[in-house]
Amino acid sequence: MSTITLLRGDVHADKVGKTIDTTTLVLPTTVRAKPGQCVVLRGPNGSGKTTLLRMIGGLLEPTVGTATIGGTTADERNPSVRAAVAALIGTPTTYRDLTLIDHLVLVDSTWGGDPNTSDERGLALMARLGIDHLHDRFPHELSSGQEQLFRLALTFSRPGSVLLLDEPEQRLDTTKRVTVTELIRERARAGTTVVMACHDPEMTEALAHRVVDVAPAR
Amino acid sequence: MSDPEAASTLEVDDHELVGQADWVIGGDAGRKGRRQAWYAGYVVFLGALAYGFPVVQAVVRTADPLALRRQLETPLAFGVLGAAVVAILWSMYAAGAYRGPVVPPLPWIDHVVSAPIDRAVTVGRWWRLALGLGVFLGGLAGLTVGAGVAFAGMTSWYAAVLVTLAGAVLGWLATSLWLAGQVRSWPGAGRSLRTMIGGRIALRELHIEVLRRHAANSSTIGGSVLAGNLRTARLQLARPVRHGRSARLRAAGPVAVVVRRDLLGLRRLPSTFWTGLGLSSLGAVVISWSVTHPVAPALAVTVGLVPAYFGFGAWAEGLRLQADNIGTPSLLGISGRSETLAHLVVPAVLALVVLGAGVAVAGVVVGHVSVSAVLLVLVLVGVLAGGHLLAAFRGSPPRSMFRADSSGPAILIGWYVLPGLAVLVLGTLGFVLARSDVTGLFWGGMFAAVLISWGLGRSQRLADEHRV
Repeated sequence: MSTITLLRGDVHADKVGKTIDTTTLVLPTTVRAKPGQCVVLRGPNGSGKTTLLRMIGGLLEPTVGTATIGGTTADERNPSVRAAVAALIGTPTTYRDLTLIDHLVLVDSTWGGDPNTSDERGLALMARLGIDHLHDRFPHELSSGQEQLFRLALTFSRPGSVLLLDEPEQRLDTTKRVTVTELIRERARAGTTVVMACHDPEMTEALAHRVVDVAPAR
Repeated sequence: MSDPEAASTLEVDDHELVGQADWVIGGDAGRKGRRQAWYAGYVVFLGALAYGFPVVQAVVRTADPLALRRQLETPLAFGVLGAAVVAILWSMYAAGAYRGPVVPPLPWIDHVVSAPIDRAVTVGRWWRLALGLGVFLGGLAGLTVGAGVAFAGMTSWYAAVLVTLAGAVLGWLATSLWLAGQVRSWPGAGRSLRTMIGGRIALRELHIEVLRRHAANSSTIGGSVLAGNLRTARLQLARPVRHGRSARLRAAGPVAVVVRRDLLGLRRLPSTFWTGLGLSSLGAVVISWSVTHPVAPALAVTVGLVPAYFGFGAWAEGLRLQADNIGTPSLLGISGRSETLAHLVVPAVLALVVLGAGVAVAGVVVGHVSVSAVLLVLVLVGVLAGGHLLAAFRGSPPRSMFRADSSGPAILIGWYVLPGLAVLVLGTLGFVLARSDVTGLFWGGMFAAVLISWGLGRSQRLADEHRV
């Protein structure tokens, strides 16, 4: 048995930047968010929003500056950081031999969810996103929009005091964007810190407590 | 006046047209390519002479040749040999559905194979190459084994000639079935028995879409193998899962649910379960024989570990999927190490059951099973598990491979075979030490522990590398 410290959702990224060899991916940028707040990262393609999110979540080591979660250095190798950060950055690899509901039950069970009600929780989340009728499909049988909704369901199905989302609106129609906006707002109201990259002005307007403009490196 | 209703005809020389297309597309490259194929065959022949022949002799000389001969003349030995032949033929037939023997380049398919020329002529070159290679490799394998055992005094030289011929025939049969698998991968293609023995009839049944698909498969798989990206190759080969949709993953504790996931995966992909069972059973027969018969050569356990290794791999899909996810945000609520160990449970238990059953049956045949034989099975399963940890978390090829010198291919091959080689070397060494002395079992256990620790360390290092 190991002990995990439950970290608060305070996100402090102070002048974090990333340079590989002579190429600067992200200029030093500061992002701060408290529990219950939603910070939106805005910037043109290639400005480094995804890289910034990866550094905030401890998936990537910044070359300058520091990133902390609840006062602890953001490092994915730390189990407490892993327990705190729920993230949809890039494409999570799914099990080709599990259906959508199986995936949600798997994630829920590994986080200690009650096995007796695991299916119900998974189906309820899928219903919120309007994909409950696809519960017995395999991931390769989804359209690109359905796939994005499934990835969001996977991310929402695990607990976390910090939610990092990289363009959650991509591939979604207007109705689904409203649904996703509502789900993110609920998570923030429940005390989760949300940091997300977003290109949708309406989602940004509806969710952002603060907008951070990420300047392109070049 | 000619009758407007009558269809006009045109006499064409298919060989002449293909020859012209060949010259226009490839110039002199085709002839050079054929010369290279001959050279490759020459190198393989030298390799068999320099390495294969001495290894076969060593296998026989590490045992009592006469006693070994008596063992190999039993109905059980013939049964195992027959099963191995059937397994080879079946796997060649199955492989034909993904990548058949006839795979011309895509421009050739689009511009020449699509023309109204006899298809047996337009694709005949690739078939002849594959058939020649199959017969050559089969014959060479037969010659290596036959000459090796004859030279070691186990059989006569007549038997060596017979084994060489049998190898060549097996090569011909396997290549023909490979083509039959390719022909039948197109729904509605000719199903007559004559397509099973290759030749022009089978070639004419090849659909152009099959040729395109196999050429694309070949490029993707070849490219990803050369780049060390096995995930792409694996997904390209994998069939989409559609079975067992109604079965559900039952919720459980954090680790138990991962084990249940792997079981459900095998239920939904029965072909991987049966492939694993077939290969592991084959390995179990040879390993059980080695463990329970003092006359068995030490290297027999090495031979048995080869199918056992691949059988274990067929059941370890969960482990590889975990490795695919390294570097992505954490979704599961357990540590990477716990997940890894949970993914080892199903393949390790299945391997233990199959190897254990093999040793139990062999024990019944010889009249007793020693405790050391049972412990040795545990050690070998540990070695197999360690090898698959290394294989799943092997990561990317070393950067030195991409240097401009000529050592790149050798580094890549070394990188690929390292996990399997570690299993063969440490497994065999553990077996040899355990057979000579009971304390050798301790060393066997140590080898398994080292290999598992190495694999677990590799998975941790791979996770760390993603942060840079």
